[in-house]
Amino acid sequence: MIGRLALGASLIAILLASPAAAQDAPAPAQANPPAAETGPYRPHGVDEEGLWMEVEEYERDLKHSKLLIRDPDINAYLRRVLCKAVGDAKCAEARIYLVRNPYFNASMAPNGMMVVWSGLLLRMRNEAELAAVLGHEFAHYENRHSLKLFRDIRAKTDAMVWLSFVPFGQLAQIGLMGSIMAYNRDMEQESDLASIGYLAHAGFDPHAASQIWQQLRAEQDATAAARRHKSRKDKNGGFFATHPNTAKRMEYLAAAADAVVERSDDFGREAYRAALAPHWAMLVEDQVKLADHGGTAFLIEQLAQDGWTSDLLYAQAENLRLRGGRDDYALAARYYRSAIAHADALPENWRGLGLALIKDGQSDAGKTALARYLELRPDADDAALLAMMAGAST
Amino acid sequence: MTMMRSMVAALAVAALVAPAAATASWSMRPAAQESKVSRGRMAVTPAIAWNEWSEHQTKYTEVWTLDGLGLNELAFFGGVDAGKTLFRRRDDKYDPLPKFRADMLLSDIPELFETSARIVLRSSAFEIDAVAPAKLSGHDAVRFGYRYTVQDEEIVRRGEGHAAIVGGRLYMITFEAPQIYYFDRDIERVRAIVASARILK
Repeated sequence: MIGRLALGASLIAILLASPAAAQDAPAPAQANPPAAETGPYRPHGVDEEGLWMEVEEYERDLKHSKLLIRDPDINAYLRRVLCKAVGDAKCAEARIYLVRNPYFNASMAPNGMMVVWSGLLLRMRNEAELAAVLGHEFAHYENRHSLKLFRDIRAKTDAMVWLSFVPFGQLAQIGLMGSIMAYNRDMEQESDLASIGYLAHAGFDPHAASQIWQQLRAEQDATAAARRHKSRKDKNGGFFATHPNTAKRMEYLAAAADAVVERSDDFGREAYRAALAPHWAMLVEDQVKLADHGGTAFLIEQLAQDGWTSDLLYAQAENLRLRGGRDDYALAARYYRSAIAHADALPENWRGLGLALIKDGQSDAGKTALARYLELRPDADDAALLAMMAGAST
Repeated sequence: MTMMRSMVAALAVAALVAPAAATASWSMRPAAQESKVSRGRMAVTPAIAWNEWSEHQTKYTEVWTLDGLGLNELAFFGGVDAGKTLFRRRDDKYDPLPKFRADMLLSDIPELFETSARIVLRSSAFEIDAVAPAKLSGHDAVRFGYRYTVQDEEIVRRGEGHAAIVGGRLYMITFEAPQIYYFDRDIERVRAIVASARILK
């Protein structure tokens, strides 16, 4: 692992980091979106055909990825929400891939490949928010943003080659780079506004789109407060940003939602929670293990607004135990005990409780809890080690 | 969404990176002789010769390989002090890694390793398995297995770690290799190296 962390390896990683995102950020060309009625859209011209070829190769690999979440129910749900937003005729052109990655991202390729990271699902609070994101990504496809961005970059980078022969060329290059990014941001705004139309069409409250950014900004505040640095909510790369600043997005999305005449107040909260229920445990575990204790606590508390389930209590306890600050172990033990009071509590609560109590200086109670865990999970991966710990200090 | 910015950043650092990569070098650790590792904090005796990488990621780490780091990577973490991280921190302010704490129990070490690895690899496809009590240089230790896959690479790598906490410091040896062929081929000779390990300071 250390080998890949060295500089050379990390350069490759940067370039490969988000191949889908390359297509994701893209923007429009002519005002002739793919017409679903005339059959699936096909690429036109060498630029577009070339782009498609590269993306199709990426998609072939993605289909075999070990990081894909293949559960048919959750995949069918994502498709239903997309279809509800953009309409049955259009949504047939998109293929959605759910990738296990704890960060917040989604992307859309010019050939209809949509990639959604699992961390995004943890950050949506309802079906309307999910529909806003899927609709936003679909709008990139519909408006052929990838192709437009590609052409924009090519036109401007041709100029860079030329400019580099003249004095001050580098300054000019930086100027051009900025203009490419500005173009990119315009396309993001276009997709954002398209998502408002989709939400209205699907019968959702269109304010869901601006709420996503409100929550993300609050999460960034929580992360920053716990790590004692300034919140990054207003940092989006500035001059080189690919996306509009989140405060601006929130503002124009809310204004666009206000302007929708026939508004529903439906957010589809229950449907979303029901569809995601079987996956919360994994999504939350992946988040807890990012060691972003402030952001994680914020997300767990958001999820717990409808009530603390045993899974959420367990997640909060693990988050505290892993943080390991003063008082954290005692507090974690309280959360584990609250979880254990639920009939459906995971046996792992006993493991966490035991370890937290031992750290908190309550060695005997800790060992008893570990012993209880081993009764419930005699085949646990770490049974041998915990048995030693449970026995050793008695 | 971040691709463009990444590209700009990548191009910007490319020029800086190239010389660094070019200066990495290798030296031989001979067979059947005790070698000091991690600045003399541990010593091991390999049965066959290994290649030591000149790049030391942190002041505690040292990396050996037989065929190249992608095929087999033996890493020594010699005497990690409390408050220090397992890997080099790229962005301590905004993307910090968890730190080793002197009050950690042996059961905490696989968790520390997993959390650190998930962050630096940016992958949630990392699982710890088979955590068991063991010995390292005569001290109580923990042995753990792990597996991971990194997005856009898709090779399953398997690893095994041995760790002990001695005098408030963490001593650990990890080995990882592709699950297919390489891990099984070398794991026994790695266990022999672990068995030969002596904690010196």
